[in-house]
Amino acid sequence: MARKMIRVLLVEDEEIHRVMARAAVKAAAGTEDDVLDLAENGAAAVRRVREVAPYDLILMDRQMPVMDGHEATRRIRAMGVTTPIVAVSSDGLPADVEAFIGAGADYFTPKPLSKEKLGNILAKFGLT
Amino acid sequence: MVFMQGFLDEQFNQLEELQDESSPNFVEEVVDLFFKDSSRLLTNIEQAIDKYPQDFYRLDSLVHQFKGSGSSIGALRVKNECSVFKAHCNDRSLEGCRRSFQKIKREHATLKQKLESYFQLLRQVGPREYAVCSRK
Repeated sequence: MARKMIRVLLVEDEEIHRVMARAAVKAAAGTEDDVLDLAENGAAAVRRVREVAPYDLILMDRQMPVMDGHEATRRIRAMGVTTPIVAVSSDGLPADVEAFIGAGADYFTPKPLSKEKLGNILAKFGLT
Repeated sequence: MVFMQGFLDEQFNQLEELQDESSPNFVEEVVDLFFKDSSRLLTNIEQAIDKYPQDFYRLDSLVHQFKGSGSSIGALRVKNECSVFKAHCNDRSLEGCRRSFQKIKREHATLKQKLESYFQLLRQVGPREYAVCSRK
């Protein structure tokens, strides 16, 4: 039976990480039908979550202009959105992970994203 | 990839796994993106180091970006030296930052040279041989 299409929001301001994430999502999800939306900062992410059909997964960077990942996560949760939010950041210190989880993220993975990491994330949240 | 040992980590292999028929130059494209980003960041870091008074928060932020970008291609030595630089920022040691920055520039230049040679070699041997080389 074919897996249903999944809709992922990637919140990332740097092009190299967007390119990596796009390739990793495509390789891990294994289908061209899945949708990967992009937001270049936390404020844009909050707008997209509010305006677009529900996402199945949100991949959230931390350090971004306008609004960072912690604040964006807090605001998305304050809207009552329960979509899994995975923090993706170069900062892997315990304090940074705790801050993200405290803001409402469900999981943390260090950058860069890979096919393997994405595969594990999709499996963790029942999206495979 | 024997000659790259020590310069690149496992992430480079992960990058190669993302390359396929629909994106046959993916690895080189990502590497090009890194060097485009990193040239800009190196200039910004140099300007920030020379600025007075020093803004260690901004310096840390710039090197954090640089480190993150380097980690995408598995630039191990560059990444490690960025960690040293960040430690100097934390200690507010300008002299430490200056020394570390010189090392980052050297590692960056060496890596660029090695990767340019690597991709040149791949272009010479052709796509089939690349599929063999990349698994060594």
